[in-house]
Amino acid sequence: MDPEPVALTPSPAAPGGAFRLVDLLSSPLYERLRPLLLPAAFGGGLLLLWQVLAVAFDYPKVILPAPSDIWAALVTDFGAIWQQTIPTVRDTLAGFLVAALFGVGLASLLGFNRLVRDAVYPLVVIIQLVPKIAWTPLFIVWVGIGWQSRLTIAAFIGFFPIFIAMMAGLESTDRSLVRLSRGLTATPWRTFWLVRFPAAMPYLFSGLKIGITLAVIGVIVAEFISSSEGLGFLILKSAALLRTDLILAAITVLCVIGLGGYGAIHAGEIAVRRWQGE
Amino acid sequence: MSAAAALRIEHPAALPAAGIDYVVVDRLSKVYNEGSRQQVEALAPTTFTVKAGEFVALLGPSGCGKSTLLMMVAGLDAPSRGTISVAGRALTAPRAETGIMFQDPTLLPWKTALDNVLFPFQAADRGAGPKDAATMARAAGLLDQVGLKGFHHHKPRQLSGGMRQRVAICRALVYEPDLLLMDEPFSALDAITRDEMNLVLMKMWEEHHRTALFVTHSIREAVYLADRVLVMSRRPGRIIEDIRIPFSRPRGLEIGETVEFNEICGHLRGKIQHVPH
Repeated sequence: MDPEPVALTPSPAAPGGAFRLVDLLSSPLYERLRPLLLPAAFGGGLLLLWQVLAVAFDYPKVILPAPSDIWAALVTDFGAIWQQTIPTVRDTLAGFLVAALFGVGLASLLGFNRLVRDAVYPLVVIIQLVPKIAWTPLFIVWVGIGWQSRLTIAAFIGFFPIFIAMMAGLESTDRSLVRLSRGLTATPWRTFWLVRFPAAMPYLFSGLKIGITLAVIGVIVAEFISSSEGLGFLILKSAALLRTDLILAAITVLCVIGLGGYGAIHAGEIAVRRWQGE
Repeated sequence: MSAAAALRIEHPAALPAAGIDYVVVDRLSKVYNEGSRQQVEALAPTTFTVKAGEFVALLGPSGCGKSTLLMMVAGLDAPSRGTISVAGRALTAPRAETGIMFQDPTLLPWKTALDNVLFPFQAADRGAGPKDAATMARAAGLLDQVGLKGFHHHKPRQLSGGMRQRVAICRALVYEPDLLLMDEPFSALDAITRDEMNLVLMKMWEEHHRTALFVTHSIREAVYLADRVLVMSRRPGRIIEDIRIPFSRPRGLEIGETVEFNEICGHLRGKIQHVPH
């Protein structure tokens, strides 16, 4: 059953001082940067391929601009893009904050009171099943076409994942910790605040991460439907003018906004985890 | 029915002479899912008393209802029938003056060892807050006593199983309870750590001298720690033997080598293994 013995041939000695890729790939610095380097290299490769193909086949810029065209649009129209970025970021953040407040608040209320939970939770889950975007026109009718409707939609869409994650966190709290707290004659409120709420933190963060990405979607959709400002508006206007490069430039900015929001929450999560002793 | 409501079926005659009978358990029984087809009688009607300052071990095989019994004395589980009184008062809910140790250390993972010991002061009003200087000094002192000097600011994840259970001992003692309830606190530990923990507990108990009720399925642990051992039968549990352990205190682990110790263990083993079903 033994495998065939393999004759080990000594590897040829490397010429002194010559660069070897193998050395670089086994260096500790590479190991640390690998999670960033690999996707960056792959993404960069795709962009390069896109650039080469677009130039080689001389594709019409209206259909598929090359990455260099998008970059040029970003640089030359920076003022216009920046002007539209501000309202989008503002509405996204405001909507997300409202979503987080309501999501955590309602989940806490439901987690604290069994009766309210059993009455309300199934309804929230059912409402959650409807595609949330479908409500957008209704919100515009209710709160108008200003920033209020954009904030409402962002908050509405962002609310559900935050609420459901917080709920899951509260319900999954280690029962023995709750029993300990009860045994120490803590009131239900103190047990909630000292034990169940902190225990739900990891769940909450996964909900917040989904919530922030959905809040961006909500704002863009609202801007599509009725707005005279924001990146969604810019995208729609650029489409009408056949400025495909500007559309892609706006999408690039949206990508950066999404990354920023996600990154900020991730940083918060790491801080909380460190505090929680992980 | 809530735990508090069920416990309120009080027995006025159960008032003990103060300082003598500290814990009085009277015809206490527990039936799960009563009236349904899944009905399980966990504890047959059980009566016993624990005197003030006495260390009593409840010894029995797994699933004999001894943990259920302890949780009822802690006020965390409602009896089906019967009453419990502690320090002369009928038990209707968890008492602020009872210290509890569970099978698991049950530490809050996001708090340091010291903050876990201080948790009872955070959970309920105990005269002093968790930031009170005297309280903090007492918590720190207890941690030092159980050999956790230098680990006060470690999180539970950074501590070994035995160290975590030491923190749990300190947490149960820090508010100076008059009654200490322990539910197989060392059953998850290896034999060596367990011996060590028995020594720590013995030392702490000899210093603080609280009335104690200790549930275990280890015969040697029961004989080593207790003044009195109550032996419980298999499910539905009931007390089938009540013996006094004659060794003087302080006790060292070496008493485990004596003939007398092993004779007592042999006697108890015979009791447990000849239990009629």
